[in-house]
Amino acid sequence: MNKTRLQRLQQLLAAPVEAMTITKKAWTAEGGAKNPEPGDYLQRGEAFWLVVKTEGAELHILQSEAKLTPLERELLKWALQGGATKPAGGITDMENQARRLGDWIQQSIGAGDWRAEIPDRLELHNRLFDGMIPFLLLSEQSDAREPSYVELEKAFRSYISDEMLLIPIREREWLILGSDRLLAEVDTTEEELVEREETKEALQSLATGLHQMFTEEWGGECHVAVGEPIIPTESLVYTVGMLRETIYLGRKFHVGMQVHLPWLIHLERLLNGIPEPVRTRFMEEMAGRQDLFADPETVSTLDAFFAMDCNVSETAKRLFIHRNTLLYRLDKLKQEAGLDVRSFNDAVLVRIMLLLYKVTKRK
Amino acid sequence: MAGVRLEHVFKKYPGTDKASVTDFSLDIQDKEFLVLVGPSGCGKSTTLRMIAGLEEISEGKLYIGDRVVNDVAPKDRDIAMVFQSYALYPHMNVYQNMAFGLKLRKFRKDEIDRRVREAARTLEIEHLLDRKPKALSGGQRQRVALGRAIVREPQVFLMDEPLSNLDAKLRTQMRANISKLMKRLETTCIYVTHDQTEAMTMGDRIVVMKDGLIQQAATPEELYNHPVNLFVAGFIGAPAMNFITGQLSEEGGAVKFKATGVNVEVPQGKAKVLRDKGYIGREIIMGIRPEDLHEEPVFIEASPNSVINASIEVSENLGHEMYLYLNGLGKDNVIARVDGRAGLQEGQNVKLAIDMNKVHIFDKDSELNILEA
Repeated sequence: MNKTRLQRLQQLLAAPVEAMTITKKAWTAEGGAKNPEPGDYLQRGEAFWLVVKTEGAELHILQSEAKLTPLERELLKWALQGGATKPAGGITDMENQARRLGDWIQQSIGAGDWRAEIPDRLELHNRLFDGMIPFLLLSEQSDAREPSYVELEKAFRSYISDEMLLIPIREREWLILGSDRLLAEVDTTEEELVEREETKEALQSLATGLHQMFTEEWGGECHVAVGEPIIPTESLVYTVGMLRETIYLGRKFHVGMQVHLPWLIHLERLLNGIPEPVRTRFMEEMAGRQDLFADPETVSTLDAFFAMDCNVSETAKRLFIHRNTLLYRLDKLKQEAGLDVRSFNDAVLVRIMLLLYKVTKRK
Repeated sequence: MAGVRLEHVFKKYPGTDKASVTDFSLDIQDKEFLVLVGPSGCGKSTTLRMIAGLEEISEGKLYIGDRVVNDVAPKDRDIAMVFQSYALYPHMNVYQNMAFGLKLRKFRKDEIDRRVREAARTLEIEHLLDRKPKALSGGQRQRVALGRAIVREPQVFLMDEPLSNLDAKLRTQMRANISKLMKRLETTCIYVTHDQTEAMTMGDRIVVMKDGLIQQAATPEELYNHPVNLFVAGFIGAPAMNFITGQLSEEGGAVKFKATGVNVEVPQGKAKVLRDKGYIGREIIMGIRPEDLHEEPVFIEASPNSVINASIEVSENLGHEMYLYLNGLGKDNVIARVDGRAGLQEGQNVKLAIDMNKVHIFDKDSELNILEA
């Protein structure tokens, strides 16, 4: 439940309300029903717990000390079970099927079963045998209303094609599967995209377009990750997990970026996997050189330099500065920090330091 | 069409002590071209994103027209945005790119066609309508992005560094195109840039920001000629205004400004203000625009009380004008912009006269323009 809705509920109940996540085990240990559903209520001394959503072994609950009448409790249950939020026309079969698939994906990820095969009982199983491009979209819009499935599906259909599937995974997180034929439409020459690099370029432009479409035409700010085409029956859970990780790492290491590509965050994934004490020690050893990133101009210069594969001319072009100005800045860095980013070993060190600096700076 | 009003708007991110935008109040008139300018991190993009609805407003009110839109979703604000990363939809041709937003809003086909063709004509991209984005140049792509915004016929255009990805030549060209276009469309436009030249050439009014605060909101002429503080004075103008720290003293009924290599008389009008405000005997910062340093003998003869001598460390001849980097005046280099045909060389000593009527005087502590306060 987002902040605005929580604030409204607090106003309605005239008491503080806290959103929490607990395990089903904790719920049953406190005397809650065995298979909790949204709207289930549990009195714990002065406070009560109210289930908002179930997600695998986890429960999203609200905790408050507000005194509720039985009628108020029933009304809250009705609202949480969807009575108040569903579109006038009700849920379509398609939405039901997509939500069931989404729940299954989420449960499989929660259980750590990233190689799970899609069970036959899920109706959409039969539509997942063709090559598809997976996009994961995470909305960051803070307004109260979560976009309705029907509206959202229509917008994505307009952008991608009728051959697409929209699968809600978690609150404000959707998997969008578009036909891999879309790649051919990006190319101007109508030829097939055989080169892997070209495919990646096309995928990036499709994801950037999707981000722009959602931001501008539909629902505000969001993050998008795109993966290479897959046969969903073979690797759907793994793909969602990998794209979710991509967004997580992208947001952590590259603040300000909204489109995230799994093939560009290998180093970030590796750094993120290094235990915190090791990372801290590395930064401490480099401590004398940390102030080197205090100047935003240095950071933007280095970002551009690494983005352009350490090519001086291309970096200068990208930064709209003269080549000599760039060389002057790099020389200054060499003098001040003793690190020459034009040499491979120093470039690796500075790149790692820069990534870690961006993370530690925000702590 | 509509104006935009921000009333005491704040933006504070969770977990931070300082607001990114502080007490931003501004009334943007209908059809006005307003530019938000400032260095990186000054809050200009955050302000624009709050207007767009992409960032929540922490405090304060935002009006588009007469409507408070704090809680209105971006798509319902009747605005159109053009960003630096003008991502076109790569699998659609130019026509489809421009028509997409209207199609989504269920406009009739003939209306979509009319708007797209009209916008394409305005932007001179009619011949590109069948092309895919990959087959377009940077400038053409930028025009398509503009076209996509124009067809919406919004109440307000929001543009965030839309020219940053273009090369210098194309930027100059597109700058003029956008200005012309906005005049023709008669729609309110809020434009963010870090480039003061863009701000000066495009804006009806410019808001200079620093550290989340409005420093000054004024017309380009007003900002250039009457900056309220040292920051605005230094930010607006290229090459930037020269600053010399020195002392004011009273000698024989005249107010003198003295610093290393500088001993000049302050004109009567300015001297009176400085006397009245008690600045005689105190250190101040004098601001001189590079073009207010003159090497012409006529000017030097007419201004015997404001002549300085300096040596030329570097000279840059741009043809029609020449920048002289001068040594020996105050602590830092002073830049003079003189006639390109002056024939001055590096290492040469030069005599210059300061146009004292045009200098600015700043309080050393508050950095406010004493003469404008």
